[in-house]
Amino acid sequence: MITFEFLISAISLASLYALLALGLVIIYGILKMVNFAYGELIMIGGYVLYLVGSNTNLPWLIVAVAAVLGAMAVSYLTELVAFRRVREKSLTALLITSFAVSTLLQNGALLIISPRAKAVALPKVFSTSVTLFGITTPMRSILTIAVSIALLVGLTLLFRYTILGIALRAAADNFRMTRMLGVPANLVISSAFVLSGAIAGVVSLFWIGRTASVTPTIGLGPLLIAFVATVIGGMRSLVGAVVGGFVYGMIFIFIGVLLPQTLLNYREAFMFLIVILILLLRPEGLVRVKYAQERVG
Amino acid sequence: MLRVDNLQVRYGAIAALRGVSLRVDEGELVALIGLNGAGKTTTLSAIAGILKPVSGSIMFRDQSLIGRSPEAILRMGIALVPEGRDIFPSLTTEENLRLGAFSRHNRSEYRSDLEEIFELFPILEERFHQIGGTLSGGEQQQLAIARSLMAHPKMLMLDEPSLGLAPTLVDQIFTLIPTLRLRGATILLVEQNVDRTLKIADRVYLLNTGRVELEGSPEQLKSQTAIKDVYLGKG
Amino acid sequence: MKLRRLAEWLSPYSTIIILAVPMLILTAITDLFAGSLLVRIVTVMFVSMIIVLGMQVFMGNSGILAWAHVGFMGIGAYSASLCSMTPQMKAIAVPKAYPFLLNLHLPFWPSILVGTAVAALAAAVIIYPLMRLSDAAAAITSFALLIIINSVLVHWDRVTNGPRTLFGVEEYTTLGTSVLCAILVLILAYFFKESSLGLRLRASREDYYAASAVGINITQVRYLSFVLSAAIAGFGGGLWAHYITSFTPAAFYMIETFNVLAMLVVGGPFGISGAVLGTVLVTIAREGMRAVENEINLNRLLPFDVVGLTEVFLATALIVILILKPQGIFGSRELRWKPKGVADEANEPAVDSALGG
Repeated sequence: MITFEFLISAISLASLYALLALGLVIIYGILKMVNFAYGELIMIGGYVLYLVGSNTNLPWLIVAVAAVLGAMAVSYLTELVAFRRVREKSLTALLITSFAVSTLLQNGALLIISPRAKAVALPKVFSTSVTLFGITTPMRSILTIAVSIALLVGLTLLFRYTILGIALRAAADNFRMTRMLGVPANLVISSAFVLSGAIAGVVSLFWIGRTASVTPTIGLGPLLIAFVATVIGGMRSLVGAVVGGFVYGMIFIFIGVLLPQTLLNYREAFMFLIVILILLLRPEGLVRVKYAQERVG
Repeated sequence: MLRVDNLQVRYGAIAALRGVSLRVDEGELVALIGLNGAGKTTTLSAIAGILKPVSGSIMFRDQSLIGRSPEAILRMGIALVPEGRDIFPSLTTEENLRLGAFSRHNRSEYRSDLEEIFELFPILEERFHQIGGTLSGGEQQQLAIARSLMAHPKMLMLDEPSLGLAPTLVDQIFTLIPTLRLRGATILLVEQNVDRTLKIADRVYLLNTGRVELEGSPEQLKSQTAIKDVYLGKG
Repeated sequence: MKLRRLAEWLSPYSTIIILAVPMLILTAITDLFAGSLLVRIVTVMFVSMIIVLGMQVFMGNSGILAWAHVGFMGIGAYSASLCSMTPQMKAIAVPKAYPFLLNLHLPFWPSILVGTAVAALAAAVIIYPLMRLSDAAAAITSFALLIIINSVLVHWDRVTNGPRTLFGVEEYTTLGTSVLCAILVLILAYFFKESSLGLRLRASREDYYAASAVGINITQVRYLSFVLSAAIAGFGGGLWAHYITSFTPAAFYMIETFNVLAMLVVGGPFGISGAVLGTVLVTIAREGMRAVENEINLNRLLPFDVVGLTEVFLATALIVILILKPQGIFGSRELRWKPKGVADEANEPAVDSALGG
């Protein structure tokens, strides 16, 4: 049952889960805000793929880059237009705003494009298989893993060695203090949103690649995955998010194999139950951090 | 250099500052003392742009600070080291310091700035690659001050730097601050440790329930019985 | 003179009167003059008001977003429907139903009560541990709860007929029923807000630590309030089911959550006046936009069908309100009428705090 091919496909899906979690936590760490519109960035990526792909003859790679840029742009704009002004008001207002933005984007796609699913052209390489060491796997899985690793490495370099990355991590620790050292608040927050959009954009390429179609509601699934994964990994650390996402992905897939059919339907509900339990019993998540900073009030 | 006039700050319905006026001239070490809740931290927060006053003025080198963001005020040359240190616990010492230098645009100065910092705070060189959250309280306090110094502020504001530190470390802090002043820094210091503060300050303001109760040189204040009254509860 | 005495006696309840009287007048006008479409719109509006008021009871007073609220509406809707439908109808509509469910047959009002009770019970059993959480953890867990409730409704097809439509519910809810129930819930919500429990809840919203320090058991206070709000949601859900007569689990998921949130936030979540006004405004906006959509589509004014315009409009309006006036139109204030000389504590500009602020 558990073949190498299955394992590789599991790892490739789990990598996407890890990236999804990371994109969500980047914003949460700094703003303490759960971005309900995050799933829609996947949707935007998909629709750019559809629109550019079916209306031009550009090579797929260019279309893919356009999709990622589209997600980044929309993410940046949602912050600029909506979140920036609500930021100072209250966290609750921010949450509701992100939900409203999510509804707006979804129905915007419904309105401007169509409520029906649209087929997305995928590169031929996605449907080929490759044989390595006697194991045959879809090229898509290999590409997913390769791109995920590349993206994670790139982001690690960004966060470790660039001043922007350091500023983002500092802002997640203590946003006010970061400003008091002269780092502009808007720069930090916009960068976080752009990065989140970039990650979502890349994920969308492979997420859409699984079904080859896009609908207005395609974002809900990834959003929920990001929620669960983030909670499992701990909402405070980027590393935790990645680990949490990966672990969640692997568990989810293996449960899918092990559970009997009747219970399979409740798999999602079950994972959410785990989320609730974790938040109750160990709110800092399952991944340990090297220091503790608890402050009341 | 800094001129605060009749500053009033409210937290909701509660008046925290009821008209505070003070000034700090270039090269001075000015201290704000007073009981808890007197408004010392509130004053510093208002100057740093974290709190918005309801009325009054804050002028720094003839420019108004009111309404400016904390990052803008830092760039104008005022750095605040807040109470409780507030170093970035998940960043290393090096990263903390590097972020302190964010507002400096001259990369080549970074190296020489670090050398100066290591002279003043040798322990930070030892702990250079250690994660901030694992440093001891005294080391964190030094890191917090060092970090703000990396920004080359024209005026440094310190909020209770000796709070919660062991006696030897308190000694270190009270040796450090005059050293900084000797090197030309302008310092606004908030402290609860009245004795030692009076020994190093040029001028002192005594705050009580949101107002300046007394001001003057340390000798002048020492001779006034009012301080004792305030601290022993008659004020 | 007697009139003045009456006015003074009524003035603490003036909010209820100011809200209820126009509602009754509207009902009368609709009943007498309006066509069936308008009757439908107004009836659904009053039922929505019940749901929104239910959310106000918890969210408005505690400051915590209850994402799972419409989930409990769904629980109430399904429970009440399964009680009131005849066994024959159930055999067709829910083919795989459990035998005991098939044989169950209650009149309308007992069914509604069962719906309310099941929703309240579900809340009572599940929600206590979640009440300790705040901020992001509370948001995620309550959102997770909404997902879970939806998942159960969609998959437990021996009770709900799964994702397929549950049809055949009798139309018992009338315009008169809906407005009277809405006024009833209005009174309940108002007295809750002014009650000791409501006061304690509002204190915890203002300042969590101060309220604990004063001895308020915040978890318990939130818990009781949430169960009440879930009961109201179940009540509204039952009434709604018996008007719409057929529905699916999707009716109690994201779209409805957005609707209820919009209605609550636009009017102002901190008082019942806001809940009522918000419901009215959003209903007007929604039906207005829907009419526009239909005009465009039927007359082919544009080369494509406009779908989703209503939601785009409402979402934009909600965002604008959150930017400009996040407290909603009413903020913390209630509509009140005070005769001269009577103090108006609730509308004083000071911080709305039960601790004397």
